[in-house]
Amino acid sequence: MPTKTRSPRAEKVVELMKTKCKNRQIMLSLAACVHCGMCTDQCHYVLANPDDPSYAPAAKADKIRKLFKAHIDWTGRAVPWWVGAKSVYTDEELEDLMDTVFGKCTGCRRCSIVCPMGVDMAVFNGMARNLLYSVGIMPEGVRHVAKDQWEIGNQMGVLREDYLDTLEWMEEELQNKHNDPSIKIPVDKVGADIMYVINPREAKYDPRSIADAAEIFHFAGVNWTMPSEGWDMTNFGLFVGDPALGGACSKRLYDAAHRLGVKKVVISECGHGYRSTRCEGQNWAGMDVGFEMESVVITLLNWLKDGTIKVDKSRNSDPVTYHDSCNFARSCGMTEEPREVLKMVASEFREMYPNRAENFCCTGGGGAMSMSEYAPRRLKSAKIKAQQLKQTGAKTVVTSCHNCVDGLYDCIKEYDLGMQVTQLVNLTANALLVPARPVKVMESIKALYGKKVLVIDDEPDVRLFLTKIYAENGATVMDAPDANQGMRAIRDMRPDLVSLDLIMPHKTGEKLYWELRKDENYKDLPVVIVSGYAKVDKPKIDFDGFIREKDIPAPDGFIEKPIDPDKLIGTVCGILKVDKAGV
Amino acid sequence: MHHEISPLVEFASEKLHILLLFMAAVYTLKIRWILLHTPGKDRQAPTGSPDTTGQRGAMYSLFNVAMPWAMPSTRKHKMFYAEFVVFHIGVACSIAMSIVFSYAPVLISGSAAVLTLQIVFASAAVVGLLRFIRRVTVPVMRLISTPDDIFSVALLTVWLVFSFLMAGQAPAFAVAKGQLEASSSIGALQETPVVVYYFITSFFLMYVPFSKISHYIYYPFSRWYLGRTLGHRGVYPMKQFGSEANADFLS
Ligand code: SF4
Ligand code: SF4
Repeated sequence: MPTKTRSPRAEKVVELMKTKCKNRQIMLSLAACVHCGMCTDQCHYVLANPDDPSYAPAAKADKIRKLFKAHIDWTGRAVPWWVGAKSVYTDEELEDLMDTVFGKCTGCRRCSIVCPMGVDMAVFNGMARNLLYSVGIMPEGVRHVAKDQWEIGNQMGVLREDYLDTLEWMEEELQNKHNDPSIKIPVDKVGADIMYVINPREAKYDPRSIADAAEIFHFAGVNWTMPSEGWDMTNFGLFVGDPALGGACSKRLYDAAHRLGVKKVVISECGHGYRSTRCEGQNWAGMDVGFEMESVVITLLNWLKDGTIKVDKSRNSDPVTYHDSCNFARSCGMTEEPREVLKMVASEFREMYPNRAENFCCTGGGGAMSMSEYAPRRLKSAKIKAQQLKQTGAKTVVTSCHNCVDGLYDCIKEYDLGMQVTQLVNLTANALLVPARPVKVMESIKALYGKKVLVIDDEPDVRLFLTKIYAENGATVMDAPDANQGMRAIRDMRPDLVSLDLIMPHKTGEKLYWELRKDENYKDLPVVIVSGYAKVDKPKIDFDGFIREKDIPAPDGFIEKPIDPDKLIGTVCGILKVDKAGV
Repeated sequence: MHHEISPLVEFASEKLHILLLFMAAVYTLKIRWILLHTPGKDRQAPTGSPDTTGQRGAMYSLFNVAMPWAMPSTRKHKMFYAEFVVFHIGVACSIAMSIVFSYAPVLISGSAAVLTLQIVFASAAVVGLLRFIRRVTVPVMRLISTPDDIFSVALLTVWLVFSFLMAGQAPAFAVAKGQLEASSSIGALQETPVVVYYFITSFFLMYVPFSKISHYIYYPFSRWYLGRTLGHRGVYPMKQFGSEANADFLS
């Protein structure tokens, strides 16, 4: 009988699988399944696709298990068909496996805790991802992120100078906010007690979280720092199941802590970042770190308990609920601390069901947010999450994970839940009681001093340019790269003015403008349109016609790109009724 | 009354230990094979609740299956859990009976013992039949079932039916073995169910080590390691907060 030939990639996958299965836990999880089906309706994918059995955890696991059976299991090697053993031969089969292990499982481990046999799906799903990753078969987004993390040192490709600029910018924001130039975001401070490490999403899209943490650290009066290198606590090694990448990322961070001689590493709110840095990292890197590591959630809780920081929880008066991140709750046992913090910084907490280790995934876990090809599937699988959120009746969902923030945000948008997503550090900073400072008589006050401006523009350069203009004129500036994140920022930061681009992907500025004008809360929020809509290379928008058609008032100001800074500030000062010359 | 044991029954009942030894030998090899795999280690300091440890997590995990309230799956599927208990008790009783029957049938010859065993076997056989039907009719079960899964449940169900018939022969067998006084209430020994039972048991002992039925060899290991990992990370033992509400949500 002619033997079937294997593609070079399939050959490598088989060989690597044999090595990986020498691990006892992986081998046992592959061998122990009895196909009882108890895990079936415990997976969010199944609950959203009840008629498609291919989403069942055991069915997904069998795509990996059949390989194990074909090459390692005793009976499978002797009588393959009897136990469902089947090897892989072609690249197409590997692509099919990719569709399952990347596109149909977030590795959330919910099926693991409901399995009577103790089969840990996440363990071998991670292994399968690693097999495919090692032969270059992976979703495009995963490829890019893993590459950025290898080459640039963080998973969002944030350049060192941009990261440092952002820290500087946030430092200025805080100094302006509190009229206190002594507020610092110390970088590379040797001998600091605490080194704070973040998710690059914060540097790129959510610098407010960095400012909030810095504000808390400052008023807690601790000796802290942020590293200029090794600051990314996230780790795509976890999502591609690659101990080499995982170890390299973790080591970068551990090295920074050693270099600075800090006593403790505090990890910002991120489920997989915490798990990777605090737990798996040392195993991947094969090193014992010799310093303490904790989540900022624990830090906040300790400081709130011992009075290092004081808060007024009535400042967070909306009812809030809490979403347990899978990595936090199911893989690191962090369930009570966030609730304790939440109850101390917010007026009304409502539990979500199921919760803690039994909670359902936000659907953005396992690197799913970077796999745009699976977005429709992911959004569909968020049905159960939407149901959970809705049942709480809360207006805000709090989560201690940046991945979950994005996953929940998409879920809320898709199912039209009208909720906000925020994190503990944001709520704590908002509730923070700051010691009163004598008001300094300033030599000159810039025109937009004390005003909060939100810049919404999809082009990073334009965003930066606008941010600079507003900030130089004294405004506190935040930005958002698209209309959806813009809407979220409007709810979160309540700006005095929105600077809005019209042509943006996914949702246009005109749609956002229309939404604002029909929303009771924001119908009077000043908006200045800053758009290059007349440019020939962009589709033309008939904004005037749109306003007429929707019967909504014209925007408060209109500035055409290329932007004339003087004209822009003049227009904005006119809208906000402030003197352009300042004081 | 016919209380003689034919050579076939005698051979079947007395040579069972050879097959038991065979099964034990294969299991020893299997455990050795498991132990040849390297266990992963957790270098990191424990996380989560300070009152949990790897050891506590492992112990909790091992007995997790006896705590139907502890898992959302068993809380939600109460009937399924009850079926699981009945089925496994039936199988365990039948294994025990095969040994007791061969060497000391008098121990199970009382009418209460016979009746109890027959109720256990009948219920377990009904569960086996239900499980077989579920495996071949429910789409997701069909998708995940291999020929081994289907054959195993069918084999066990048939075996449980013969266990039921066999239990009824215990008094007659005890008399034939000279362990019990003959009496008018004890009927003649019917050889067919005894022979078929022993035949299936023998096949079972040879087949099990190579089939999914041997999952109980993996069970302590897989549960131990999952529990150790989750215990070290403060997840196990799992605290039950509003578990009823958690269950209601899904039902
Ligand atoms: S619950 Fe466990 S044993 Fe049952 S099918 Fe799922 S993974 Fe397999
Ligand atoms: S790990 Fe989570 S996403 Fe993957 S199969 Fe299990 S429950 Fe579903």
